[in-house]
Amino acid sequence: MSSPVKIWRNQKEVARLVGATGVIVSWTIVRVPPADYGDQAPYPVVLLSLGNGKRLTAQLVDWEPRHLKHGQRVVTVIRRVTQPNTDDVIPYGLKVKPLS
Amino acid sequence: MNIYVAGVATTKFGELWDVSPRMLAREAVTGALSDAGLSVGDVDALFVGNMLSGLLGRQEHLGAFFAEELGMKTPAFKVEGACASGGLALHNAINSILAGQYATVLVLGVEKMTDHKPEDVATALMGAGSDEERAAGATFPGLYALLARVHMEEYGTTEEEMASVAVKNHEHAHLNPNAQFQNLLTVEHVMRSSKITDPLKLLDCSPISDGASAIIVTGDKRPFGQTQGRQETGKNAIRIVASAVATDTLGLAQRKSLTELRATREAADRAYAQAGLGPDDIDVSEVHDCFTIAEIFALEDLGFFRKGSAAAQITRGSVSLGQSKRLVVNPSGGLKGCGHPVGATGVKQVVELTEQLRGTAGKRQVPRARVALAHNVGGSGATAVVHILKR
Repeated sequence: MSSPVKIWRNQKEVARLVGATGVIVSWTIVRVPPADYGDQAPYPVVLLSLGNGKRLTAQLVDWEPRHLKHGQRVVTVIRRVTQPNTDDVIPYGLKVKPLS
Repeated sequence: MNIYVAGVATTKFGELWDVSPRMLAREAVTGALSDAGLSVGDVDALFVGNMLSGLLGRQEHLGAFFAEELGMKTPAFKVEGACASGGLALHNAINSILAGQYATVLVLGVEKMTDHKPEDVATALMGAGSDEERAAGATFPGLYALLARVHMEEYGTTEEEMASVAVKNHEHAHLNPNAQFQNLLTVEHVMRSSKITDPLKLLDCSPISDGASAIIVTGDKRPFGQTQGRQETGKNAIRIVASAVATDTLGLAQRKSLTELRATREAADRAYAQAGLGPDDIDVSEVHDCFTIAEIFALEDLGFFRKGSAAAQITRGSVSLGQSKRLVVNPSGGLKGCGHPVGATGVKQVVELTEQLRGTAGKRQVPRARVALAHNVGGSGATAVVHILKR
């Protein structure tokens, strides 16, 4: 998502989904990241189920190995997605962190 | 109308730094034309299956690009559907013949991936996923790792069983001179290879590859004047009796089920219906093992084994060359053993199955192969293409 216009257009979507709770239904730890995510690896990517029958895929932050299990409760937060692009726009987006 | 495979050819797959996309295409197409006993002037249209030419090579307009390279001035198309690009190109070529639009059509699957750094290729391959998955920093193996964990928790599928998929496909690739890998593996090798994205390890993953494959398809109507093509008579006429495509949601989070690839099941159901056949009729199959877990999903979703039971069957040798009594899967070595130049794979699968049905597969020959099924998937299951061939 390196276009500043696209980042701006996506802000409403991100704001709408912040603070939503869910549970982990699957997880992995990405150890060989794509370009732009090198400074964050290794990191977990999780599939979570939100209350309303919807699911989300997001990076898990502030995590410990014990959090990587089916049924772990998580909440969506706003975090920096990657380093600023060449336009100096910092892309923020949705990640999830464990609850308790 | 019957659809015939008139000619086939494939290049070697691998890390081919000294071979350009133009050279790959010329080699595959020259081979297919020669196999068919045709010349480039006999071809009415060109369909090119490819995913990454734009993202990696900055060249999008592949219909025109390869038509020019091959000395053709016919209608030419690039067809894209992530890793299903090759299968989709063939599907579209067949449709154009059924529509009476063209009579003799060349399908070229080609991909050049090894010119670029792995992390850049990984980013490009995530073009097959959703925005949400890209923002999460997921990689393509990461998406299949998420599917693997669900399958493991639901059905008890183990990492060792997944590893046996790689072992089998390397056994088959060992017999394939065009395969990227000819080395044999053990389950221990796979288990000890570096973790890429838990639980998937390096040897659970198909490689980054270069390669091209080509097929010439024709219909019943004789497309050319006096020239005799190989497809005309008797037991060497290989027919494509089904070609079906299905679509599911782009991202995993939006899928109805995480334990099956519904697109595979739908495309297969439609293909079996088109052919008037069922899973038990298939003697040999090339399925989309982009990762070891993907073959397990495939064999279940194609109806070969009950959901949750494929892993144990594969481990037992039920679909291995030389051991199977019923169905052999991925005699070419699959994506894992033969390599996975993305746009070429769907076409290569049909090249391999044509050789199997003709009886010219050499050391990889499945005895008495009469009915074959090719299964090609785009993304984490957003697109699936199934072809059935008959001798």
